[in-house]
Amino acid sequence: MRHVSRIKFMVFAVAVVATAIVAGCTNAPLRTEASTSGIRAAEEAGASKVPQASLHLQLAREELAQARALSEKGEKEEASSMLLRAEADAELALVLSHEDAERTEANAAVARVRELRKNNP
Amino acid sequence: MKTKHFLIVATLAAVFAGCATMPPNELVNARQAYQTASEGRAAELAPAELHKAQEALKLAEESFAKDSDSTKTKDLSYVAQRKAELAGAVGAMNADTSRKDRAGAAFQDKQAEIVQQGKQDLRDSENQTADARAELDKQAALKEAKDKSDAEFQRQQAETARQAKQDLIDSEQRTADARAELARIGAVKEEERGLVVTLSGGVFFRSADSTLLPTAQVKLDQVAKALLAVRERNIIVEGHTDSQGALSYNQGLSQRRADTVRDYLIRRGYPADRIQAHGMGEGNPIANNTSPEGRANNRRVEIVIER
Repeated sequence: MRHVSRIKFMVFAVAVVATAIVAGCTNAPLRTEASTSGIRAAEEAGASKVPQASLHLQLAREELAQARALSEKGEKEEASSMLLRAEADAELALVLSHEDAERTEANAAVARVRELRKNNP
Repeated sequence: MKTKHFLIVATLAAVFAGCATMPPNELVNARQAYQTASEGRAAELAPAELHKAQEALKLAEESFAKDSDSTKTKDLSYVAQRKAELAGAVGAMNADTSRKDRAGAAFQDKQAEIVQQGKQDLRDSENQTADARAELDKQAALKEAKDKSDAEFQRQQAETARQAKQDLIDSEQRTADARAELARIGAVKEEERGLVVTLSGGVFFRSADSTLLPTAQVKLDQVAKALLAVRERNIIVEGHTDSQGALSYNQGLSQRRADTVRDYLIRRGYPADRIQAHGMGEGNPIANNTSPEGRANNRRVEIVIER
């Protein structure tokens, strides 16, 4: 009997904490800073000019918009989860932009040294 | 109690049923992306990003284990896939960076080599130019020396010719002077063999003697003085006798007298190698030996100055 009382007490306590957490989450504003700054960084890196990077930049924008929509509907947890997608795509778009630029520079450097050797055997 | 057991069995069934559930496409893609990244250059060139991808995949797997088909599982899987792709991209970017750096280093090495080669070519060119200039200078010096030598040779030739001409003039003058001088001492005549000066034997020697008389020495001094002006000429001293006495005696006497005159002239400075003495005996008379006057003329000394 004493054992059952203890279980009831623990279930009650968990319910109180969970309610508090859910209440906190539902009241907290959606934190889009990481996503928006990631998207801006990718745009400034020229992601829109690199096909693969452009795709992920677009996905990030759409996912950010979806996150905001979910947040407005009160689906905060789904909104936060969607924001993670937006951040991941924005970050990938940025790296792909840099990678494309680096590949272009490397190819140019190789071509330059090849040309130099060709002209000066 | 039965109810409790049922709940346990139902829970386990639900767990097993969950485990047996097919993973969502997002998780399948994440696993595949991570495998691709870990087998590629990311393992070597982007280990930090690959580790983050691994952690993200782990979260997705844990979420899948808890709630296989939840939105959260899909989102975490989606993020894990992007993290894996990002690791691959960073690996590729770092590889490109290395490639660019190597190409840059190779470019600089080649440029340095070109510069070095250029400097070497310049040095070689300068050396060749210097060699060519030295050769030109050498040729110019040789030409100048040759021209100078030719000019000197021509000048010397001209000088030699002028000197020879002058010597000839001088020689002719000395010959003329000597001839005039000799003409005052004795009879002078031009013959085929040269200029012949005839000195009377009676003035030079006693009868049957080859010793010079004192008056003869005065005469011979004058002769010697005239001859020394033409010392480059070969001369022959010939002794002649009259026909009195034995032939062999006269031959010996004429030779001794010729020798006496020759020796005297040598002592006065005439070159010994240019003067000969011949005893002609009585064989070349210039007058009749029957009269005392004729024999006196035949006793004579002739000095032949060769041409």
